[in-house]
Amino acid sequence: MNEKIQLALDMLDIQLNQPLQTALEVCARCGICAESCHYYQAEPSLEHVPAHRGEQLRKAYRAEHDFISRIYPAWTGAKKLDEPGLTALAEMAFSQCTLCRRCTFNCPMGVDTPLMMRAIRAMATISGTAPEMLVMLADTAIEKGKDPTFYKEIFLDQIKDMEIQLQEITGNSEATIPVEKKGAKVLYVALAGSHTILPHAVIFNATKEDWTLSIFEASNYGVFLADMVRSKEIARRIVDEAKRLEVKDIVIAECGHAYAAYRWDAPNWLGDEYNFRIRSIIEVIAEYITDGRIKVDPSAIPEIITYHDSCNLARNGGLIEEPRYVLRSAASNFNEMTPNRHEAYCCGGGGGLVALPEYEDRRLTAGKPKADQIRKTGAKIVVAACENCRLQISDITHHYGLDVKVSALADLVVRAMRLPKTLPGHEVERLFSSEEVLVPIDK
Amino acid sequence: MNIIIVQLLTVFGLFLGLLGMYLRWREVSQRPMPVDRSPKKGDPGRGVAYALTMGMLPWAKESTRLHTVAYLRGVGFHIRIFAALAVLFFSPFRNLLPPLIRTILVWGLGFGVLLGAAGGVMRIVEGNLRRVSTPDDHFSVWMVTVFMASVALSMWREVFIIPMYIISAIVFVYIPMGKIRHCIYFFFSRSFFGRFVGRRGVLPHPITTNAGGTK
Repeated sequence: MNEKIQLALDMLDIQLNQPLQTALEVCARCGICAESCHYYQAEPSLEHVPAHRGEQLRKAYRAEHDFISRIYPAWTGAKKLDEPGLTALAEMAFSQCTLCRRCTFNCPMGVDTPLMMRAIRAMATISGTAPEMLVMLADTAIEKGKDPTFYKEIFLDQIKDMEIQLQEITGNSEATIPVEKKGAKVLYVALAGSHTILPHAVIFNATKEDWTLSIFEASNYGVFLADMVRSKEIARRIVDEAKRLEVKDIVIAECGHAYAAYRWDAPNWLGDEYNFRIRSIIEVIAEYITDGRIKVDPSAIPEIITYHDSCNLARNGGLIEEPRYVLRSAASNFNEMTPNRHEAYCCGGGGGLVALPEYEDRRLTAGKPKADQIRKTGAKIVVAACENCRLQISDITHHYGLDVKVSALADLVVRAMRLPKTLPGHEVERLFSSEEVLVPIDK
Repeated sequence: MNIIIVQLLTVFGLFLGLLGMYLRWREVSQRPMPVDRSPKKGDPGRGVAYALTMGMLPWAKESTRLHTVAYLRGVGFHIRIFAALAVLFFSPFRNLLPPLIRTILVWGLGFGVLLGAAGGVMRIVEGNLRRVSTPDDHFSVWMVTVFMASVALSMWREVFIIPMYIISAIVFVYIPMGKIRHCIYFFFSRSFFGRFVGRRGVLPHPITTNAGGTK
């Protein structure tokens, strides 16, 4: 057995905890999961049936762990893992599953197929079979965390420019974007790009929130690699920053995987219980509206809007009603997609897929069910509270010829605040080239 | 063949099956269970209760709404498997049962045989299902169907009692080795799912506050 395969199998053993073994054992192969997958909806073929995907890992698992399969592999379809097999597994886990968990919710057994796909991703990462782009993005973030001083100066210059814009928009010459303010209540962690800072700065200034901006980005590409070591290192930068600044809340930008990573996974990776809360900006905005700290005028947005539930925020994160509350407050014409909430279709861009140009065709094909859903709402604006979803929805609306704009939740709220000046056009752009990640604030 | 001998054979088969299932259960129980340190948004207990009850209802999932007949077929088949096991355990007292009860069992389990056979045929006829199935999957569904038929027939005529015991012994021994062992993992799987959705406040649908947050 070559070293790659040994590493992959060792990683499978490391990950073989109760939930994973259960997922590997419990599937009855009833096939009822097929239509739950957006890949299958877009292209009904066997390779897109979640049970079939799970079987690909089960073959290797049974060959190592099942008595009958070792004696008579053909009986259970067991197959020893080899290098072509590992490559095929990696290809499947990174390009044909967005880890959206819709199949799990639809499985009568509760088979956690995404957990198996994560196991494969971890096997691929440790054996060097994972997509290079994801590895590079994760490593870049780790390097930046080791010595942020190099980037900080450029970052602060960009923030100064942004502050001028902020003051113009709000008509408030004292509006600021504080960075590394010790003792602030809120540490806001944005993404790469001013579009995830400026609208939020408007909101924080309007509410007179005691806040500060993180010098790091919320993205965590270690998550997509299912690499606990990298995920942990990337998360640690922000957790350490929060501890150093003695904040009370970490507030994560509109980003699905980052919210899931920091809110639900980081305490487990870091083995820590924090003395600060980790919240999404969506929860915070909803609270501001309820408390009357920001006033929104729904007549400011008369267009039909619809909302896309990011899988990481809704199905995997429990943020389901909060964004709807914000939208119903800020817009006058809100149409739900069908299905929605925990039954919503993945847009097809999750699991790191939007960062992988080699799988663009598959991603666009898998986005068809979402495009069809959007079309049926008659919406002119699609709101998504996740950067990757927005990128994907922008791509699929273009690809399938939909006449809709894609917006972040905060952008819409700022528009409904009826400020003296509107936000600059924040076209969603692809921000995954290494240079742009090295210098996160690009505008 | 002496009925006592076949009964002992069945008991021995049951013992081996239970031992195998225990070993399977112990194996999974001894695997690490990830500790969740993240603050809860909902109630994991409610999530588990939901996953094992309301979450199993045919209208609770899109998949079962789309495939209601297939789902109900599966549910009906599985309920009858447990009924057949109960009948098997009470089979030494078969002659004490009133004829009406025996007739009901024959028809009830007989219908289960049809449901099992329908599942077996579906697995052969439906393209994706056939291709995703292993020989073990086909064998298991037919084996359990034959077991159910033998239990139903034993309620009809005494002559089928000895074959029923022999078939039962084989089924018991095979349970922990083949696909049927998914019964051991079912409760683990639904519980993990329930804990996940409950803890994160996804299901069952929580009561929302004004800000869309949860109580």
